[in-house]
Amino acid sequence: MQGTASHSPSLAAPQQATRTAAAARPYGRYLYLAINIAILVFLLAPIAVVVVFALNPTPFIQFPPVGVSLRWFEKFFASRDFMHALWFSLEVAVLTTVSATALGASAALALARGNLPGTRLIVATMLSPLMLPAILTGLALFQTYVLLDVGRPTWGLVAGHTLVTLPYVVRTTLAVLHNFDTRLEEAAQNLGASPLRTFFEVTLPLIKPGVLAGAIFAFIVSFDQFPVSLFLVSPGNETLPVTLFNYLKFDLDGTIGAASVVSIVLAFVVVIGLDRTVGLRSYVKL
Amino acid sequence: MMKALGPLSRRRFLTASASLGIGTMAAPYVARADDPTLRITGWGGKWGEVMKAEIGPAFESEFKCKLQIDSAFPYLPKLQASSRSAPIYDVMHTNSNEQWAAAEMGLVEPKIDAKLVPNLADVYPYAISDKIVGVSIFTSAIGLGMRTDKGYSGVTSWKELWDAKYNGVRGGYVIPVNSLGQAFLMMCGTLFGKGQLDLDAAYMALEKLKPIKIVDFTGAMEKMLLSGEVGMCVIHDSGIYRYDGQNQPTDFVSPSEGVLSLEQVLTITPGSKMKELANAYVNYMLRPEVQKRLAETVWYSPANKKVKLDAKYDAKLLTTPEKVSKLIQVDWKWYNERKDEIDQRVNRIFRA
Repeated sequence: MQGTASHSPSLAAPQQATRTAAAARPYGRYLYLAINIAILVFLLAPIAVVVVFALNPTPFIQFPPVGVSLRWFEKFFASRDFMHALWFSLEVAVLTTVSATALGASAALALARGNLPGTRLIVATMLSPLMLPAILTGLALFQTYVLLDVGRPTWGLVAGHTLVTLPYVVRTTLAVLHNFDTRLEEAAQNLGASPLRTFFEVTLPLIKPGVLAGAIFAFIVSFDQFPVSLFLVSPGNETLPVTLFNYLKFDLDGTIGAASVVSIVLAFVVVIGLDRTVGLRSYVKL
Repeated sequence: MMKALGPLSRRRFLTASASLGIGTMAAPYVARADDPTLRITGWGGKWGEVMKAEIGPAFESEFKCKLQIDSAFPYLPKLQASSRSAPIYDVMHTNSNEQWAAAEMGLVEPKIDAKLVPNLADVYPYAISDKIVGVSIFTSAIGLGMRTDKGYSGVTSWKELWDAKYNGVRGGYVIPVNSLGQAFLMMCGTLFGKGQLDLDAAYMALEKLKPIKIVDFTGAMEKMLLSGEVGMCVIHDSGIYRYDGQNQPTDFVSPSEGVLSLEQVLTITPGSKMKELANAYVNYMLRPEVQKRLAETVWYSPANKKVKLDAKYDAKLLTTPEKVSKLIQVDWKWYNERKDEIDQRVNRIFRA
């Protein structure tokens, strides 16, 4: 059987294969490194441009920069409008995070184990705000508030933000509930724990990674939310993204860059704060 | 003696958070007590700063009311979405093209009653012409902006924008979203065809204008001119003059064929429950002292003939009947009726 003889492994073959693999490994490693660096540059380059713009003393984008100045940061922090918008955005983001997390996590729990009819349809409906252009969501909510004659209240803005951030909490919480062992809850209740105690001492610690990830998404999405806010902010109570948009129509200077840097820093602060207070690192791989 | 705060318990934290939340939501209602409120729109930037710091508070104090200024765009869709009988704004301040669109939909009153707004008697004719809905309280002149350090001397005509030496440094606008771009399109018809309404001539002229750097916001064009990315562009005079005293190598050219008018227009909504206050506001904005303060802040030409600006502003802005006669007003009603068709065509031109 000639064919069999030709395919039989020889002693030299494994050594040859090892040498080829060893020779190829450095190239593969370089390629792997190059791809990773390219991805990092792709992700970080826009942030770098914003930082350069914010630190450049000229009132327009100039490359290479002609110096380093904090004048735009001074202008940003000295502006009452920007400061008010920054604090208002933070307040709205915190309220949104609380409401979206409470509603989203509860909904995910009910959907995961409630044996509800039409669960898939309900999940799809809850995720639908992600499919719809947010500007239409904003306009629809605005019209609804007008019809209800409630004006443009802050709670209306928080409700709008909650609507578009809810899918993130639902999705991330459902993900951790997928492999949730319900026997743990049953065991707690068999040992005499009330449903409330079971929830806080068994269920919540186990689904915490998903809930926290959703809460972080909710905060960041709300803080940066523009299309929904555009229609729902009331005069004198504009969020930071809306204030920035109105500002850049008239003054496209480094203040926009400074505001963006502050937003980026705030996002980092939130993530680090959560890590320090609730031990995020042990739940979420960052 | 102050009582020391104890450690932050979970209960205290939750109570404080809830109070903050409720406070945030209730603040606007608490702040707006019983004074009648006039809801208007208004620009941001320097205009917004002066309105908030001086002009607005002075109006509130004189007329015992609250002025609620919405400076978050877009105004027209919000007005459209609100009820006709209870509109979201009492007075709308925006550019003329948007005012015409609002008037066509019946969202704003086409004219201001001169009996209720006495200062209307003192405005230049352009401010209440048949090309204007409501009243124009200010105007800017749209002409050419140029760098003065690139050797582009002796520019006197719009047609010089087509000179090949500006290839690569020529600036214009995304016409579907920018009033200056739209007005310039009409000017192209006048320059190369039978008049403003000659769209075919305008389209051909736009084709020949390429290569051109186009932006959506006027503020972006200002920065491109300042940075030298653009050397010659379509721009309004206030976009150049606002950098006065900063030694910028830029200047505004009023072309010999005339400058286009970029009007700041006020209208009153038909369903407003604050008609008296709305008319008082329009009259107030036309007062010479208010006009002077705003004109010298943002470099807009005042509509009131009686305004006496300081020499520096008077030399550059349109403050005499002779200077005002150089203004060319756009027929926005005609333009808006064809806007979709124009948008499609110009998008094709600049996409190619």
